[in-house]
Parts: sequence; C-alpha cells; structure tokens
Amino acid sequence: MRELVASYLSHSISRRGFLDGLTKTGVTLAAAEAVLGSVSSVSHAQGAAPAPTPPAAPVAAPTAGAAPAVPAAVAGVKPFQGTGGACFAEQLIASGVKYVFGNSASEDAQFYEALVDRPQLKYILTPHEGPGAAMAAGYIKASGQPAIVMQAGVVGMANAIGQMFNAFKEQTPLVCYSYRTDQSRRAGRDGFEEVAAQEQIVQPITKYTWLARRPDMIPETVRRAFKAAWTPPYGPAYISWHSDFNDERARTEIIAQDQVDPRMRVRPNPDEIERAARLLVEARMPLMIVGDEITNAKAVAKAVKLAELLGMPVTQVRQIYANFPETHPLWVGHVPGGGLKSLTFPKDPDVVINVGNKLQHNSPAPIVARGPKFIDMRIDHGSIGNVMLTEVPLVADVGYGLDDLTAAVEGLLTASLRQKAAARAVEVRRFGEQARKLAAQVVNSPDWDQSPIIADRLTHEISRFADPDAIIVHEAGSVALHGFDFNPLGGRELFFYYAAHLGSGVGTAAGVKLARPNQQVICLVGDGSFIFGPTALWNMARLELPVIVVVYNNHAYSGPHSRVINNVPGGRMVQTGQFVHDYLGSPDMDMAAIARGFGVDGEVVQSPGELAAALARARTHTVEGKPYLIDAQVARKGVGWAAKPWIPPIQVAALRQKKV
Amino acid sequence: MTLRAVAAASAVLAVWAASAAAQQPAAPATPAAGENAGRAMVMAKCFQCHTDAMFRDARQDRRAWEAAIYRMIGRGGLWTADEIKVMADYLGTDFGPEAKPAAAPAR
Repeated sequence: MRELVASYLSHSISRRGFLDGLTKTGVTLAAAEAVLGSVSSVSHAQGAAPAPTPPAAPVAAPTAGAAPAVPAAVAGVKPFQGTGGACFAEQLIASGVKYVFGNSASEDAQFYEALVDRPQLKYILTPHEGPGAAMAAGYIKASGQPAIVMQAGVVGMANAIGQMFNAFKEQTPLVCYSYRTDQSRRAGRDGFEEVAAQEQIVQPITKYTWLARRPDMIPETVRRAFKAAWTPPYGPAYISWHSDFNDERARTEIIAQDQVDPRMRVRPNPDEIERAARLLVEARMPLMIVGDEITNAKAVAKAVKLAELLGMPVTQVRQIYANFPETHPLWVGHVPGGGLKSLTFPKDPDVVINVGNKLQHNSPAPIVARGPKFIDMRIDHGSIGNVMLTEVPLVADVGYGLDDLTAAVEGLLTASLRQKAAARAVEVRRFGEQARKLAAQVVNSPDWDQSPIIADRLTHEISRFADPDAIIVHEAGSVALHGFDFNPLGGRELFFYYAAHLGSGVGTAAGVKLARPNQQVICLVGDGSFIFGPTALWNMARLELPVIVVVYNNHAYSGPHSRVINNVPGGRMVQTGQFVHDYLGSPDMDMAAIARGFGVDGEVVQSPGELAAALARARTHTVEGKPYLIDAQVARKGVGWAAKPWIPPIQVAALRQKKV
Repeated sequence: MTLRAVAAASAVLAVWAASAAAQQPAAPATPAAGENAGRAMVMAKCFQCHTDAMFRDARQDRRAWEAAIYRMIGRGGLWTADEIKVMADYLGTDFGPEAKPAAAPAR
C-alpha cells in the first residue's frame, strides 16, 4: 500500500489505478475510496506547500490585507518525494521522454524499480552501449522526440563514447547518463568501475556536461541536459551523479520541460538579410548549398521556394539527410569531390549561399573557393567564417532565415530580374535533364552482370526495390548512392552519417524504425561497419522492428585501402601488394549466420541474378513484422586489389608444440 | 581506434578530390595540337577529383578502365558514352597491364 500511495502522490498512477491496486490487495472498494480520500488531502497539501529542500516555486506576491498567503500550485511544477532513481524517472517523464535506451547497470537499481509503476517510460535493453546509443540517436533523428541513453558507470560510458562522438559531430540532441562511483561511500578503494572525474572523458565531445551534486538535484540536472541538447545548434549532453544518490530519498520538484525550455528560434539580422538578398538578385549565377539544419527546421519547402524564385541551382555536400528534392529541376547533384569546383554545373557561380550545412572539410582546400561572394545562413554560428571568406553571415534558424530572405528577394525582384531568373532556371533544367540521362548510363558498366556483384548493381537493384517513401539508412562508407531520388517532401528519405565512428548503421536503422513504424526502412551497411555494431539486430528481433539490412560485403575496408594508396602513391605496399590493414577475408565472415545468431533471418547472395528473389523474401519478412538481412557478396574494386589479397604471415600453428 | 577514425568517410573521392584541388594545376580542357584526345579528356574530367596517384599505380586493361569510369558515374561523374570510350581507350593503352609504372614523385 505504501508504494501505491507513493505512486499516487507522485502522479504516476491515476485515481482508478490507485483504487484498482488497492482492491487487488483484498481491500473493499468502499474502504479503498476512503483511503483515497485521505490520501488526496495529503496530496493537495503537498501541492500547496512545496518541500523546503529545493527552492520554492515562484508564487504571486500577497496583496495587502489579503488572507495569509498560501502558495498556489504552479502549473507544470510537481512536488515529489522518492528515491533518486524515482526522481530521475519522474523528471524523464516530465521532459517528454518515452524511451530509455540502456545497458544493464546495477547501481541504477532504484531507477529500474521506479520503472515498474511507470509504464509510460519504456526501457529498451541494448546488448552493447554503442549500437544502443546509435539506436537512441536514430530514434531522436527520425521522431524529433527526446530520448536518453544510459550506461553502467565509466565502463558502459566508454562503449558509448563512439556514438556520442558521432552525435556531437552531427549535432544530434542525444542525452546520455551514467552513474559514477568515485564519490560514493566506497570511493578510493579501486572499485571495478571507478575512475576519477569520468565526466571529463566525454567533455570535449558533448555540448554540456554536468554532475548532480545532491539527490534532489537530479531532476534539475536532467532538465538542464535536455534543455542544452535541444537548444539549437543541437548536440549531445552528458549527466552523471554518484551512485549513492539513486538510493537516497529526496524531496524535490519535477518540472515539465516546456517550462524551462527557451524554445530558441532566432531571426536573422534584417540588415544582413537585405545585403544577402541584393547579392542574390544581382548574381549572374547564384548557387545554393543545402544542409541538415533545413530538415531540422522543417524548412525544405522554404528552400525550394527561394531556389525557384531565383532560378538558382542547388547542391549539397556531405550531410545526414537529403535536404532538397533530388528530382527537382534545380537540383544539380551532390558535390562529387571535395569542393564546388568538382561540380559539372554550374562551373562559375558568382554568389554562393549555404543554408544550414556544416560544410565538413577533410582537406585544407575550402569547399567554396576564393572568388564567389559567400552567404552563410546557419544557427550553428560557431563555425561560420572558420574556413570560407564570408560576405554575409546570417545567424538564424534557417526556417525564419529563409522566410525573411525570400521576402526580401521578392521585394527586390523587378520584371527584368524575374526574367533573368526564369532564363537561368531553363538553363539549370536543361543541365539537369542531361545529367539524369548521363547518370543512367551506370547500368552500361561492363561489370554489370558479374559475380561477385559490383556495388553499383546492388545499389541500383535496391533503389528499384525500395518503396516510394522508404527510409534509407546508409553506413556503407565507400558506396555511392544513386537512383534513389530522395525527396524529403514526402518521398524517400536518407539517414547517412557525418562523423566516422563506425558501427552506427544497424542501431540507427532500429531507432528509425521504432520512430517510423509505417515506413519501409532499409539499412545499407558495409561489412566493416556492420561488424562494429551488429548487436542492434537483436533489438530488431525482440522489438519486431521489420528492417531490411543489406550488407555490402566485400570482405575489406575499401575506404582505408584507397586512401592509404593515395597517401603513399607508388610505394612499397603497391609494389608488393602487401596491405596489412584492409583485407577482412580468409576466413570470410558470414553476416547472415551472425544475423541468425541474433534471431534475424537472412541469406547470402552471390550473384546479381539472386538479388530480386532475395529482396522479395526480405519484403515478405518485413510485411510479417520481422527484420531480414541480405549478405551481398560484393566485388573489391579499385587500385591495388589482388584476386586473392595478401595476408600478414602470422602463423601461431608453427609455434605450437603441444596439441592443446 | 585509429581505424574507426579513418575507415568511414564515404568519399574515397572526397579526400582525393580535396587534395587534388590543393595540389593540381588546372587541367587543360581541350587537347593541344598533337596531344592525345583521351589524355586531354582524362586531365579535364578526372583531375577534378583525383590526383595522378591512382593513374600511376593502376595498371589494368581497357575493360577494367572502362568499368572504373562507370563506377565514377555512380559517384556523380557525368560523361557521354563517346567520352567514356575515348578515355577508356587512352587509359587502356597508356596505363595497361604492360605499361611501365611511372616513378613515384619525391615526397
């Protein structure tokens, strides 16, 4: 009964739930209602007089001559008393969290205990913290909803760090928690999870890191983490407290997240908008680069509108999402190389506007070369001007920024300027039509029908197979996607990766499917990436997340192979064919067998002729609610690959003197 | 793990491209008098993304070069069938299995 009362007082169960719970213990309904009455009066009293430990909620000042002030209950603020673990759970609920992605942590026992009577907070057990964090990040990206990933102390945190790094680079608002033991009652005794200042390990890769100093500060710390993570530019936050706090009882306040969230949306400086608009309307050939802030701001249609107004070609450099419809006549394709100069068209833009792209540079050469006037519109103001000369910086939520810029451009457009824009649009469209025809030639490769399959053939077949609104989660680093015609306005969507910690793909796909159960989700993953994070397959099987996973299995790290040759051209490695770092075969890994071990059906596909039937089986499985994995044997292509790659001659067999 | 840090960048080409942009002089768009048309085309089309390293190190027949060019179409390369033929002819001859490797540049 004590637990029931506590649950009712903390608003974790309803009146009906309280009565049901009590009658199940043998108490009559009449007696239960009497108990409820007395409990309710306690509840009201608690609501009227917050506990003194935390700062009291603000109340209206009493007016002169009025009755003695009785602090009124404040909307969105709930007094709460319970263990630290229960405080944690309560605040997560108040912060809008539905899913907790976690790996077993014995010091979080009171949190687990609190979950029993809080079914609205669902715990997803992930067998490894890395894919678990990727799953959480995938869910957050696909749903736009908050989630938390939690691990056991520093040991679990260390496993999650790779995906925290990815979240940091791609600016995903992932909140992470793990307890610490270096300030607990058993501190300094070389405990198996103890390290000093564990939060400092993740500080460089999080937007915000903080420790709760007392049990009653757990909710406040949680709120602050979500506020920091979800205030643009987004990014991961890490919170921790010493493990004893989870067990101690505290009186505190649980506050709805919307009461503390600044909901920051910044409008751009009107003077800068005017300058940008003038540059764009007067440009001979403007070019727009689009980026993920557009998708995050739900502003794709606004980007389309601005491009159409100006007859402006549109491109994108590496991002997570496809941020512009690839079938649109103004789309001129992704930048194939490291800079705009590698675009076939336009060759000589005189004004370039970037809307919401982080512009990842992997070399000293700037993506936007010196020459064109450059307008940079982003909420991530910290990196504006880091590399490129920036004529007009526009710090803004890109949704507002595009609204204001479009209005300013419309105000400046004369009839002759509109004519110029229309003529330019015709020129861009003409290029686009020709480009699509040329790109379609990919099927003419002399290797098209070969076995093992070439990656382009596999991609082509999947692009023909995928639903019109399929979501493609792509972690096949050396595979270029084509044929999908991504369209964030109701068509196919892309979830690529931005940072380079491998093993995110399968977890991300699981999280995306959790968030979008009514869209087909296909995960394309290289064998090297897959093997870093296959444990999320188990989550797919357990949660019945019908994802199709396609492994591009060339038994190699293709990317590092090529880049190493580029770094040491003509060197001894190339001359001898001795590459120590890239060949994953001999023995060849059987990814379908690995999938079966996690409870996911799958098969190995050796030739192009087998693909259609394999994909059909995958569809049948997903229709029935089951995930499916295709281990597609893909050819190794590129400089320096031998049919049978050299393997470093480390032979322990020669050292064995006993058959043990 | 270093491998993790290195392994994933999608663009084999992206790194090459960027370094190419930093290192390579602008390639001629049209062949000079007496210059091989295929060579001029490779210089104009491929060096937007690649350095000469891959051409020095790759020795393969015409068919394999043609397949390599088609792979680049999948990565955004835009060429006509005639251009592909001219480039494959040139590469299959000058960078075929029997062609002598060029010396590595001093680094």
